[in-house]
Order: sequence, then C-alpha cells, then structure tokens
Amino acid sequence: MSESAIITTKNVNLWYNEKRALESVSMKVPKNKVTALIGPSGCGKSTLLRCFNRLNDLIDHVKITGEITLDDKNIHAPNTDVVMLRKKVGMVFQKPNPFPKSIYENVAYGPRVHGVKDKAELDKIVEQSLRHAAIWDEVKDRLNDSALGLSGGQQQRLCIARTLAVEPEVILMDEPCSALDPIATAKIENLIERLKQDYTVIIVTHNMQQAARVSDYTGFMYLGKLIECGKTVQIFEHPKEELTENYITGRFG
Amino acid sequence: MAEKFHTELKNLKTETLEMAHLGRFMLRTAVDALIRQDKELAAKVIAQKEDIHTMEVRLEEHCYQLIALNQPMAKDMRVIACTLKVITASLRIGRYGKVIANIARKISDQPHVANLMTIPHMADLVIEMIDDSIEAYEKDTMATISEFSARDDTIDALRQSIFREAITYMMEDPKSITRCTNYILVARYLERCADHACKIAENVHYMHTGERIEFH
Repeated sequence: MSESAIITTKNVNLWYNEKRALESVSMKVPKNKVTALIGPSGCGKSTLLRCFNRLNDLIDHVKITGEITLDDKNIHAPNTDVVMLRKKVGMVFQKPNPFPKSIYENVAYGPRVHGVKDKAELDKIVEQSLRHAAIWDEVKDRLNDSALGLSGGQQQRLCIARTLAVEPEVILMDEPCSALDPIATAKIENLIERLKQDYTVIIVTHNMQQAARVSDYTGFMYLGKLIECGKTVQIFEHPKEELTENYITGRFG
Repeated sequence: MAEKFHTELKNLKTETLEMAHLGRFMLRTAVDALIRQDKELAAKVIAQKEDIHTMEVRLEEHCYQLIALNQPMAKDMRVIACTLKVITASLRIGRYGKVIANIARKISDQPHVANLMTIPHMADLVIEMIDDSIEAYEKDTMATISEFSARDDTIDALRQSIFREAITYMMEDPKSITRCTNYILVARYLERCADHACKIAENVHYMHTGERIEFH
C-alpha cells in the first residue's frame, strides 16, 4: 500500500485462553481510506478490529503478542493512556447502542468526559457531529427527546455522531449495518464514503458486496490469519490467493 | 446458493460454446460453399443467421440475469465478462460467414480466378485460430492461444497479398473485376474473423489471469 499508514500491525497473535484467534497478522491501514475486513465467521476479523483500540483488554485470559502502532506509537507501550487511545480510535458496534438519554446527551457525553463544560461549545460539537453523521436534519427539532425513540438506522447514525464528537482519527465499525434495512444501510454507506475525507475507517462486514461498495482496501481473513490484503478492486476482480478466490465466489464459508 | 449459481455458470458456458461452434460452422461452411461454388450450401449458411442471432439475445440475457441475481466477483465475474465477449465475437464470425455465403451465391456461376488465390489457405488458418480460441475458453487454458500475435500477423500479410494479387488480375482482365473485388472482400472478412478470435483469446487471458493483454 503506497498511502501512509495510520495503523500498522506486525506479527500480531492473540489467544483466548488456549485458543489462538489471531496468527501473525501483519497489515497496514492507510490513512483517510476505508479498509474492510472480510472472512467467514470466527476468522478473527472482529478480534483484530478490537485490537486496534485495545477492547480485548476487557476480556479475561486474553494474551496478545506482536506490535500494533497508531501514528507510529506502540499502543501496548506501558505509558499508553487507554482512554486517550479509545478517544482516537472510536468504535461503532453491530447493534445500535445509544445511551438511554436524550439525543443531545448521547453526543455531548464523550466531550463532557473529556472535559468540555462550556454549553455553547457543547452545542457546537453536538450540531457538528450530528451533521457529520448525516442525521442533523432528522433530529434538530427534537434534540431533547430520548434517543431510544429513533429508528434503528437513526440510532446507528447517532452512535456514529457520538463517536465523532470526541474527534477520533480512526473509526472502527463492526458489522454496522447488519441490523438495518437496505435504506438505512445505504445511508450508512453514503456516510462512510463522506467520513473518509476526515477519518480513517475500518469496517468488518459479512456482506461482501458491502465491502466491495464502500472500501478502498480489503483484507481477507481465514482461521485467524490475514490471507490477503490489497486494493478492493484487485481483491474482488482478481485475488492473488486461491483461498480468497474461493471465499468471495462462495465456494466455501 | 453458490452451488446453484455455479451450476448455472457452467450451463451458460456450455451454451456459449454451442453458439461459438455455430459461428465457426457458418464461416467454415460459407468458405466451403465459395470454394465448391455450391449455392445450396451457401443458402444453408444464410438460413442460420436467425438461429445465431436468437442465441446471442438469449445468452446475453442469461449473463445479465446471473449478474443481477448473484453479483458475481473475482473469477465468476471474469467468466461472465469473458462470456459476453465470446458471444459477441461468435455472432460476428457467424455473420461474416453469412456475408461470405452471399458472395459465394453471387459469383458461383463463373469460374474462379487463379483458383481463389490463397483464400482457402487463409481460411484454414483463420478457422484454426477460431478453434484454438474456443478451446482456450472451454478448457480455461492459455496453451492454445500463446502465439496469437504472430498468427494474426500472418493473416494480415495474407490479406495484403490477396489484395495485391487481385489488383494484378483485375488489371490484366477487366472481366475478373467482380470476382476479384469479392475476393478482396472475403479476405477482409476473414481477417476480421481472425481479429475476433484474438478478442476471444484476449478475454480468455483476462478470465484466466485477471490481467488485460492485447494481441495484434
């Protein structure tokens, strides 16, 4: 990959107890691009995604070896502030998970935690984040309503706005559309396209057409290994590895 | 689902091969009709025009349906892309067969000038290229098409030589002008058929490797 890398992994291995979930994963995630991770269930793509903001730290009996750098800094270095890391590397989950609070409070929560107290400043961040997440026009007149009253697609965009509010560099998305209908999915996909102007997006998806539509780079994983990673058009037009070929043409998985 | 799709893809390829063989057959038969001055044989080729056109429409439609319903990727996508080109090339080859059959019918009452020059030889070489390109598509191999650039150059040279020879005969005997002009046309059509064989070969190469090349 010729673009400058924002995240680099070198020989990353991960074990859940005795079970090895990642095996010698080395990859570069280009800045301001969308990188998709595809592969059959249990291949390690979500595990790899969760490595990038050390979310696996929260699981007992996880052992990680190898090196992961964000902006050339090792994220496992002893002086790493995990809260700051997760501010830089935000995450959107499979199911929309808004807080049981108002729309406004959902977005303002992160900046508040990070010390923003000024109301005008918070208002600005909330509006900008909601605009960036392409949901402002739909919610601007009901910012104080409960976020739980929004539709699934709106809730997911709200969660993206919540992630954007703390000004991350990287946004991780773990199957962000799998709980959404095609129209809500299209909105999220359009949003991903716009987000890459300012952010780096890494998306895990089961839907290969989605990976092909939204990403610039695609990594194919199988049994914990990164089999092939390259430009999306190359992976879907003429993959180099037979395993990738067989997976994306539906011959297994 | 993938299994059903791959079965359909296989069927599509089998049907496309039938069409490719029909196109090849029309060209071969038309040249035979020309050589033997056989009007009936020429009429048979002309009658097949509708068949090959019907096949083209049906197979193209099949390709589009497979794309719309399965969103094929990688090799599957390349097989369909190549198949669409094979369909078009086969139709063109068949149509050139029909045009040559028309010529055969038109000039069969007069004896050949210079025993048709090198047209029969040129036709044999072109048909061999078509056979090899069809075989490459069928077997997904590049073994039979590796020399296509050089073979296409030979065909171009033969067309040039037929052109020059025909001019000479026309200058010698104006009564031969109609026949010789038609020989020039036939040589041109055969050369175009070789180009279509090259197109098939280029697309088989793409289907096989994912990379584009050009035979010229």
